[in-house]
Amino acid sequence: MRAWPLLVVALALSILLAACAGHDWATPADLLRAIAGATDLRSRLLVEWRIPRVLAASLVGALLGLGGTVFQGVFRNPLAEPYLLGSAGGAALGATVALLVPLAAPQSFILPVLAFAGAWGATMLVIGISRVSGAVDAAGMLLAGVAVAAILGALRSFLMLALSDETVSLQIVLSWVLGGVQTPSWPVLGLLAVLFLACLALTMALAGRLDVLGLGEAMATAFGLNVNRFIALAVLAGSVVVAAAVAFGGLVAFVGLASPHIARWLVGPLHRPLLPASALVGAIVVTLADAIARAALPPAEIPLGLVTAVAGGPFFILLLARRLRT
Amino acid sequence: MLRALLGMTLALGVALQPAAAAPVTVRDAFDRSVTVPAPPRHIVAIFASNVEMLAALGLAERIVGIESFTRYPPEVLGKPLVGGRLGFSVDEVVAQRPDLVVVTPSRQAANQLIDPMERLGIPIVVLLQRNVEEILANIRLLARLCGVAERGEELVDKLQARLDRVEQRVAGLKPPSVVMITGRLGNGLLLVTRPGTYTGDAIVRAGGRLAFDGGVIAQVSPEAVFNSDPDMLLFAGTEKDMKELIGRPGWSDMRAVKERRVYAVSRVELLIPGPRTIDGIEHLAAIFHPATPSQ
Repeated sequence: MRAWPLLVVALALSILLAACAGHDWATPADLLRAIAGATDLRSRLLVEWRIPRVLAASLVGALLGLGGTVFQGVFRNPLAEPYLLGSAGGAALGATVALLVPLAAPQSFILPVLAFAGAWGATMLVIGISRVSGAVDAAGMLLAGVAVAAILGALRSFLMLALSDETVSLQIVLSWVLGGVQTPSWPVLGLLAVLFLACLALTMALAGRLDVLGLGEAMATAFGLNVNRFIALAVLAGSVVVAAAVAFGGLVAFVGLASPHIARWLVGPLHRPLLPASALVGAIVVTLADAIARAALPPAEIPLGLVTAVAGGPFFILLLARRLRT
Repeated sequence: MLRALLGMTLALGVALQPAAAAPVTVRDAFDRSVTVPAPPRHIVAIFASNVEMLAALGLAERIVGIESFTRYPPEVLGKPLVGGRLGFSVDEVVAQRPDLVVVTPSRQAANQLIDPMERLGIPIVVLLQRNVEEILANIRLLARLCGVAERGEELVDKLQARLDRVEQRVAGLKPPSVVMITGRLGNGLLLVTRPGTYTGDAIVRAGGRLAFDGGVIAQVSPEAVFNSDPDMLLFAGTEKDMKELIGRPGWSDMRAVKERRVYAVSRVELLIPGPRTIDGIEHLAAIFHPATPSQ
């Protein structure tokens, strides 16, 4: 099990590198001075802005890694990921409503709630469609997911065109859709950390049954698993995880798909080690991608979702090709 | 009460400058209260309009950061860039150690910069301009913030006097209906000037009338432009691009094109909401009502 120290050290190094990275690179000594309470502007920039964002990025990545693993486990399909199955699209629609429709509740409360409702509703809709049509196999479910995701994407675009004014709200929604970790205040970062731990506990509780389900539905039933009930439960859990990630990081493409695969190569297919390993991989990927987003093209910042797809995609293809060859 | 207090604070700030560095507080376009402890010396000014207003107030040398689409006036070119097409960098803004950041809520600027600047305690003021009146108000507000309130009043008085002259010149004349094309999209749709914008206001002040007077969506099809049958067609851009557009099939049937009442107008005067917008209004008035003698 030499994968664990490797992953943990890699994450620590990623966080350090990302905290140093920016248009204005800091040294680890600068970071220490800032954390020790230096009051100059640059130190305060590091403590108030950059470090919380780096930590938020790693937590969002960890959540995406968890979410992807749950969905791939439930659907027993290596292509399953939050984006393909509509849950990210549903979360985005919910969040767009929260951002653009004047509602009676405060946005900080309504955005996560609607993001979750969208994620859960969309995924249940996909499962429902494939069950009703009798195509419960992976292909049927994925096709239904693609169709639902397309409808949700169109609805979201329509809301953006119809409800936003160009000056403010459209920009907020757009930056959110392209993916980008919002820099939280320290208390909100604490909330995100608690949320991540809760999601980790929740998904770990499903790990054993995900392994059983991996044997096939008939076999799982023979082992005494109520398959339909468990799938509904696991989808609900996966939606909670995705909604949490989407609420804090917008639509960050590709991480939910790739992280479980990379983790599986490192720790094997059993979910008890796979879930935390995938969370670590997701955290590393998003932390580094966010550092690239901030530092690569000064003075601009590239939307995070574009970086994860463009930089992560070829890397994943390379790993995949090497894996397939051996 | 609050307003009265605010007014008093402002009056006090105006009265005391420039001898004493009294804090100045203003309300910005997002209804945020923005306070500068002393007249700012290092200003990051994002967007051409904000740079031009500051420069017109004689404050160009205080600007320490601009974004990459700012091309005027010459004395600010070469200043550090803090953003561009892909957004704005908190790192770069902070690296200029500004004591004031001026933004307009376009291209993510307000969304990306307000939160970090507030956390770091750097005053950031958001300006909006939906009509010419607000452009003048923004010049006054910047002047007050920067401790040159009198200079601001003088500048605004001069601009207002020029607006008044245009108003007198076009008073009572029949306004031509106008469509102004401000951009072309890849899918063939056109961007046109709408009411409720400073460019729309500029057209009205110059003695014109918007042929599209109700719609809120800026993108229209060429067909909608034909159907609106304006007396005049304005194209914000070069003569060459304008000729290319009206040389396309169908455009020669338009009344404004047949009557040769198509004009290329200056983008920088009419699409950057600053002091040069007043130049634009004078030029538009001369196009709309050529019979009246220009001063």
